[in-house]
Amino acid sequence: MNEAAIVFDNVSRFYGDVLGVNGVNLSIPPGVTSLVGPNGSGKTTLMNLMTGLIRPTRGTVSVRGIPPDRPHELFRVVGYCTQFDSFPKSFTGYEFLFSYLLLHGMRATEADRRALEALAQVGLLEAANRKVAAYSKGMRQRIKLAHAIAHDPRVLVLDEPLNGLDPMARAETIALFQQWGEQGRHVIVSSHILHEVDRISDQVILLSHGYVVAEGQIQGVRSEVSDHPIQILVRCLRPAALASRLFEQDHVVEARITDDRRGLAVRTRDADRFYLLLNRLVVESGLQLESVAPVDEDVSSVYQYLIGTQGGAS
Amino acid sequence: MATPVIELENLEVRLGNRLILKRLTGSFSGRAIGLLGPNGAGKSTLINTLLGFLTPSAGTARLFGMDVRRQAKEARGLVGYMPENDSFIAGMTGVRFVRLMAELAGLPPQQALERAHEAFFWVGLGEVRYRTIGTYSLGMKQMAKLAQAIAHGPKLLFLDEPTNGLDPPARQRMIQLIQEIRDRGDLHLILSSHLLRDVEDCCDEVLILKDGRVAAFCNLEEERRANRRFLELETRGADAAFVGDIEGLGCEAAWSGNGKIKLVLPDGVEVRQLYELAAVRQVQIRRLNHKRDSLEDIFLKAMEGANGSL
Amino acid sequence: MAVYKKTYRPYDGHLTPSWSRFLVVARYAYEDLRRSRFLSFFFFASFLYPLGCAFTIYLRYNLGVLDAFGLAPPKSFAIEAPFYLTFLGFQSMLAFFLNAFIGPGLVAPDLANNALPLYLSRPFSRAEYVLGKMSVLAILLSLMTWVPGLALFALQGYLAGFQWTMSNLRIPTALFAGSWIWILILSLLSLAMSAWVKWKPVAGALLFGIFFVASGFGAAINGVLKTKWGHLMNVSHLIGSVWVSLFEEPLKRGAGAVFFRVAFGEEIPIWCCWASLICLCLFCLYLLDRKIRGVEVIR
Repeated sequence: MNEAAIVFDNVSRFYGDVLGVNGVNLSIPPGVTSLVGPNGSGKTTLMNLMTGLIRPTRGTVSVRGIPPDRPHELFRVVGYCTQFDSFPKSFTGYEFLFSYLLLHGMRATEADRRALEALAQVGLLEAANRKVAAYSKGMRQRIKLAHAIAHDPRVLVLDEPLNGLDPMARAETIALFQQWGEQGRHVIVSSHILHEVDRISDQVILLSHGYVVAEGQIQGVRSEVSDHPIQILVRCLRPAALASRLFEQDHVVEARITDDRRGLAVRTRDADRFYLLLNRLVVESGLQLESVAPVDEDVSSVYQYLIGTQGGAS
Repeated sequence: MATPVIELENLEVRLGNRLILKRLTGSFSGRAIGLLGPNGAGKSTLINTLLGFLTPSAGTARLFGMDVRRQAKEARGLVGYMPENDSFIAGMTGVRFVRLMAELAGLPPQQALERAHEAFFWVGLGEVRYRTIGTYSLGMKQMAKLAQAIAHGPKLLFLDEPTNGLDPPARQRMIQLIQEIRDRGDLHLILSSHLLRDVEDCCDEVLILKDGRVAAFCNLEEERRANRRFLELETRGADAAFVGDIEGLGCEAAWSGNGKIKLVLPDGVEVRQLYELAAVRQVQIRRLNHKRDSLEDIFLKAMEGANGSL
Repeated sequence: MAVYKKTYRPYDGHLTPSWSRFLVVARYAYEDLRRSRFLSFFFFASFLYPLGCAFTIYLRYNLGVLDAFGLAPPKSFAIEAPFYLTFLGFQSMLAFFLNAFIGPGLVAPDLANNALPLYLSRPFSRAEYVLGKMSVLAILLSLMTWVPGLALFALQGYLAGFQWTMSNLRIPTALFAGSWIWILILSLLSLAMSAWVKWKPVAGALLFGIFFVASGFGAAINGVLKTKWGHLMNVSHLIGSVWVSLFEEPLKRGAGAVFFRVAFGEEIPIWCCWASLICLCLFCLYLLDRKIRGVEVIR
């Protein structure tokens, strides 16, 4: 068993009769992993299981080899940034981190150093001496992040960490995630912004109604969704001409002219042959291409196929 | 000349004793304007001032020609507001809540009730309009906020982080609704968001604030047109030789490993020529598009640049 | 076949007059209150005492009824200012309870989930908001205090004759003014508490605290410091003294009536009472100003 993985072995968690997650089998390698799914699909349950805040009703969880019934070990290794804002109201940013680090058993000098380091990493050094209650939403988000990383954990569980951050802070934080992922840490991020998920993570886990619907590398997931032929959108001046040439091929299943009559949505069973064919068609028939885009090699489309538009609790 | 929708003249606003908005000046009339800026730049302060929640310490702000201080009530009669934070009355049913809000905006009780129902159906909450808002999920509360913002038929709509906390299908629906409102043409939108993608999808113009001043104001459509010559390719089977061929055509190309190539087409070079090269080298061009991230660049440039004004 | 699509449409119809908007708030608050059966019951039960008083007045001028029952009339059966003072005291106590039930629920729900920005982003001001909420309280409390009081006076006037009515006009004016002072204090206090303390039971408890605990505290101060100024904290005493001065009743049985009584000899000058009541109102208005805002500024 890979010691550096987060492993869920046939895990289920129920809250009375209500389903949290059911039958989850996962082995999450280090790096940046995204948790994606509608509200109510079990993301928070999964995160709580990973951080040891709740125990599974059935099955076992092990985080880098540490089970959740050894919390004194587990909490050193895990940092959790929750979705909700709740702070001791009268603390300043610095005091909040400092006191928390003292709780970890560090000496004052060490705690001070790490608190300042964490504040520097999230860019809150100037505001460190203002009360947290007076922070703006973005600053509160960043102090939560600092709090999750201050004790240098190997596993970071972050629930919608980019919520409320302005575009620059988002880019900086994403860079931080990627940096931590490269250092061999586990960075588990839950997010609703699918095009960012594409950019930041190496792996993705899709949840729906408490079940894991798909997991793995994004492109890998797509090619495994075999009952759907690959969809590619080609924008060009005369889609009808292109369509007639495409229908001569046996791997093309569907070609649909888009509403604005300047594009063709093609479905094909063999993407490789299609692209090479496209090369030839452009050269031979003088096809004027504006853009080519595989419509579903990203999380958005996988989401669409597997979870659909009504996927969550309502 | 038509009255501009929003007019600012040396607007100064203080919070406590901090000066947040510093002599903001500008005149805006676009159909859909995005409001961007880093945290603390003054976006919420600007919206709060235009709504009359904060009083300017100097300068003036006008909505449809009406001063927000002296003609506050008339100005607010034309406005709809969808706040960023949770905003509802827990004990009321959805329809009753929107009806109350519509009546406060001046609609007679009967019309308010009719429009409340209409608004609920239009945002897609028709099924739950008789349930108390306290029982709504986050996505439903966001939609209910949108319903109360439009039920009284405003001329200017302030949307503050409308997709906040929404899961992907709900986000899509919200963006669609906003685009529908925008495309009507009789309603102006101000969309404040941290998600550049949302602003790109919904807005024609973008106002970027930094440190309480205007950092940039530009028209997205024009920017997009200017980006025709920038291409991004995702390839399979490409190698250094292929990139070399592209450069041989006269393009500036940057190859970022895993098959992604960014390039600039000089005048006279066509996309077809790229495909010729690809055909020869048996390279699949899996994705080809003209640069999408214009807004990101605009934003970054605005952050680096000195403060400007319109 | 015509197909109709649900879409957004603008509104260009008729708008209600601007001054009447605060009544919208009042109407909705009233509709919410009507749903509580306990409140409706309590409200109607508060008319029992006035009915009893009406019967007493009737008896006073129709002693023959007592004869018919074989009962002797009481010696000094005069219905004058003290009678109405007692009436006002009792009804005010009921009004206090009703206010404690209703008041906290008026503003707290709006603040609990940040609905105020939605109110204030419309052609609607903070003053109208407070006025709308207060008018619900004002109407209900009026119906419990001066309205039946004036009706009783009218009854007595009818039975006692024009002469008596004219010479006792001080009574209805005192009833009217006294009630309104009470209504104003109560409604401002409960709205202010409701705005500052978002949890309804705690706001209600605070109201009781201000009246009962504070008066006890004031008495303690008096005892310790051997002074009478502790009674400034006793709001009921302040109001009671004001009422007494309005009714021009010599201080025979101590100021105030029922539970507003304070020991004889420890009264505070009238102008002090008025001043402290006005300060209390201003303080409540200040609290409301701080909390009823579109955006809260944390310094």
